[in-house]
Order: sequence, then structure tokens, then C-alpha cells
Amino acid sequence: MKIETNENLLVNVSVMGSVCQPNFQGLPAEPYRLDSDGIPFLLPTWGSIVHNVSVGDSAFGWEADCIHPGVSIKYPSEGGNRGLNILSCVGNEAIIMNGEAKNSVGFVSGKSGRFSEQIIIHFEKKVRERISINDKILIKSLGVGLKIKNFENIFCKSLSPQIFNKMNIKIKNKKLNIPVTHIIPEHLVGAGSGLTSESGSLHIQTTDLNEMKKYKLNNLRLGDFVYVENYDSSYQHGFLRKAWSIGIVGQTNGPRAGYGPGLTILMSSKTNDGIPKLNSNANIVNYLKFKK
Amino acid sequence: MISNLKTNEKNLIKMSIGGFATQPSFKNPGYIPNNDGQAVIYPGMFGVVNNIKVGDNAFGWAGDHVEPGVSIDSENPNEHFALHYLVCTGNKAIVRSGEAKGAIGIVTGEHARNLIHFENKILDKICIGDQIDIITHGRGLKLLDFPNIEIKKIDPKLLKSLFLKIVKKKLIVDVAIELPIRIMGSGAELNSEYVDQDLMSGDRALMKKLKIDQMKLGDLIAINHADHRWGRSYKKDYVSIAICIHGDSVMSGHGPGIMTIMTGKKKDLSWKINKKANIKNLLKIKI
Repeated sequence: MKIETNENLLVNVSVMGSVCQPNFQGLPAEPYRLDSDGIPFLLPTWGSIVHNVSVGDSAFGWEADCIHPGVSIKYPSEGGNRGLNILSCVGNEAIIMNGEAKNSVGFVSGKSGRFSEQIIIHFEKKVRERISINDKILIKSLGVGLKIKNFENIFCKSLSPQIFNKMNIKIKNKKLNIPVTHIIPEHLVGAGSGLTSESGSLHIQTTDLNEMKKYKLNNLRLGDFVYVENYDSSYQHGFLRKAWSIGIVGQTNGPRAGYGPGLTILMSSKTNDGIPKLNSNANIVNYLKFKK
Repeated sequence: MISNLKTNEKNLIKMSIGGFATQPSFKNPGYIPNNDGQAVIYPGMFGVVNNIKVGDNAFGWAGDHVEPGVSIDSENPNEHFALHYLVCTGNKAIVRSGEAKGAIGIVTGEHARNLIHFENKILDKICIGDQIDIITHGRGLKLLDFPNIEIKKIDPKLLKSLFLKIVKKKLIVDVAIELPIRIMGSGAELNSEYVDQDLMSGDRALMKKLKIDQMKLGDLIAINHADHRWGRSYKKDYVSIAICIHGDSVMSGHGPGIMTIMTGKKKDLSWKINKKANIKNLLKIKI
């Protein structure tokens, strides 16, 4: 059975953001954060242009706290940034509008939320060094409102048709079979629970190394599509038996408790109408035209 | 340089951050009290200092806290602190706006602003307010064979360029000058990830006797019994290695500034005097 969507009814709206700066709290605040054992650390975190980490790379091992691969953008006013954050969808095209890297094209690979509220964009590495802080990047957003015919209980969010149509999703026995690299049990979901699922990130927890091994999470890569069990992200993120969500790994692991790799949630349903199909190739770098 | 020095360099993040060439600034009426209470007025901090470079004398200028080269900052407080916590000495700087757009410089240290060296022909073209981005690289750097030595704010390429030796499992770093702990002053009130600490140059006779008055901007420095892991304090048998980043001061409790790059216990970390241990030589900085 062929999958049909309302793609031709979606509205294509431009949203803009500027390449943002790293931020730290000023004195007298200490610059350190605490790792899950209470040890202070000081490492790069969200925002800015990250030159040497890209989608497709490991989500672990970096000397960083939940770093965003590629380029992160933000709109200066809060309302405008909310527009950017909600309407941008993973897989949407992003174009640099000024500066030395003007006209270079990339794609949205994730979102970050609650504290940083940024959109994460992949550009190939040789373009990144020409991008300046504050350069303007335009996203031709498309995807909010996406629905799948005969699967009205499935909420799509931050999901562009550009990526949905490449995810190799099949219908079998009236259920969606969705290729993913990993299955995340609900007890390993951490930061992001209880917050909005339309923007921002929901983090996997990684402090229990035995559980990490058990669920084979150590080889997670940025850009992997994963399945979250018993989690309903239809409106806000929360536990619900039989519910499920699909997310993409948007940012790396971090040392803080509750802050493992972040997921941008793309689909969710309260009922048992979508099942995971394990496939190690379920990564955005294999779905879109990708240059490292 | 030790060819087999093991580091975690491949796991470090390279991240851009932007700052702006600053305008010299004074608090009304502009005077500061010198060691004898006389009111004096001197340039040196902020701005583009055209004629004093890394490698030049730290003492003797008609200036106060002279910051060599271009001092950059952001007026947004959170970005200001990010500049201080992420930028490392030896990082690449790129001018992003104005007449010098595209020109490349190098970070030579951190005072209340980040200090960038550019060649003279580029300095001539830099205007106050020009945006200068830095590709930060070095935060989180570790020596894998010396887990108890903490590395702070140096680009991996500066670490590799240092004159180092390992003798009986102890890391020996070549430095130009040793400073006695009792002359370490302003900066003790700050966390050791932020700005620098001044040596107190008020005892001019001692400066001369110990030849500290011959110190150069960019010199590597050792301080015995200084623990700079979480602050800047006296602790017996700890050693801190630093870089001289700004010039002398006339104010009590102040003097040339040093910025920490390594700190650890004496059993792991020591130093050897070598007059050539200056970042101008180590990073082959063109003047």
C-alpha cells in the first residue's frame, strides 16, 4: 500500500535566523557545570559554528556538552525566534543570504530548546570557515501540518516532506514500518520531558553505562533516526504505554545528568500504529544530498 | 616538543565566536592613582595598540596594562564571558568586516578583553567596531599521560610547540622567568578561567634584582606553590605555568598580567629556564 500525505496542501513560508554566538553566564556565576557525579567541568556547548562535528559523526566522545553539529541560528526577538523554531522542519533547505558564504545551501538537521532555542543546520565543512557570526540564513520552511492518510492518530512535527518521503517507511498490516537505528526505552528519556514537542529537544539519558550497553546506544550517530517506546509526544513529551515517537539525533552527548544526545521529535502517536524496523543506515546523511 | 605527547586533540570542538575591535575607554576623570598616590593618566588598555607587539618588553612603556595588538570584546555580557571561556591562545582570528575583511590574525592572550596579533599592514586597516571571529579550539584539552595536570586555554598547536621534556615521569616546561608566589596580586579574586592575574611590580628594587623587569610580552612564566585549578591561590608544592599577556602597571597590587596555561602538583609538573620560551618564537608569529 502506497503512503499518501497532504504534502500538496502544506504552506511554504520563509523564516530567517542569524548565526548565533556562544553564551556563558557572567560573574559572580561560576563558569562550570556539574557532571553526573558532581564534578565541575567547563566545555563548549550549544550555539555558533562548529567546524569539526557534522551529522553522520558519533554522538559520543567529544569534549563538549550537547554540542550542535554544523551551524546554529536564532532570530533576535523572542516571538520571531519562536516562529523560526516551530516552522523550520528537519530536511528543509537553508540558504546563506549574506557574507562570504552567500548563496551556499544546507539543510535543517535538528532543533535545540528550553535554554538555547536554536535551529541546527548542516553546511559542508569547507563552507563553514567562510560563515561569520551574525550572517543571515533563510529557511524555506515546509512541513508543519503534514498528515499521513489513514493514520490520523500520528502527529508529524518538525518533519518536512523532503525527509519523510526518503525515510523508506512502508505500510504492513495497517501499521507504519519505520526504519530506525536504535530503540530507546522510556526509562532512558531525560531532559525535555513535559516540555513542548513542537520545538526543542528531548534527551536520551546516558549516565548508566550498563543500560547504554544493553540497548547498544554507544554507537549512536548524529542524524540517526530512532524509535522511543511508550512515549507520547503528540503535544508535550510524556510517558504513555503503547505510545511511540520517532526522533532524529540532533546534538551530541553531554556530561550532565539527564543530558545525553538530544532528539528532535518528528512523529508520535498514542496508539500502536507504528513499529520500528532496525536498519543501521537510517541516518539523514543517507536520505539527503550530503557533503561532509 | 615531544613527538609522542598524547592528547585528546581529536575530541576537541572547533567553534566560532565573534568579537569587535574595542574603543579605548576611561572612567571620568580618567586619572588612576599610582603607587605613591599621584594621579596619572596613561593609554594601553582596550583598542588597537599599533606599536607594541607580543615579544616586546612588558616594562618601561608610558602606558598602563598595555594590551598588545587588537583588543576585542562584545557588549553583550553573556557573549563577553563566552569569549573568555572559549578563546584559547594560539587560535586563528579572521576579520569579518571593514577594510581588513578576510585578514588572518592569532590570539596572543586574554586580559579583560581578548588580544589578537595582526601584522602592521593589516593593523593599519582595522577600525574600531570591526567584527573579528575566532575559531576557538583547545577548551577541554588534556594530556593523556598526565591526568592530574590541568591545561587551560591553549590551542593544541601552542601545546605542541612548547619546549617540553619528560624526566622521571615529570613534565618539564621551558619558561623564560620564574615568579615568586608572594608577588602575585590582582586576579586572585576571580575564577581561574577568567582574565589573568597581575604580578605586583610595586617593589621596583626586587623587580630589578630578580630581573623580572626584563620580562617580555608572550614570555612563558612559572610560579611555584601556585594552584590555579579553580581559582588562583597559594598552595605548597603546586606549580602553575602561564603566559605574560599585558604590560606593567603603576597601580599598587598590579603589574604585568599572566594567564594560566597549566597547573598541577610538583610531582607531575616542573620548569626549566630558557630565555627563548616566548610565544612569538613558539608560534613563529610574524611582526
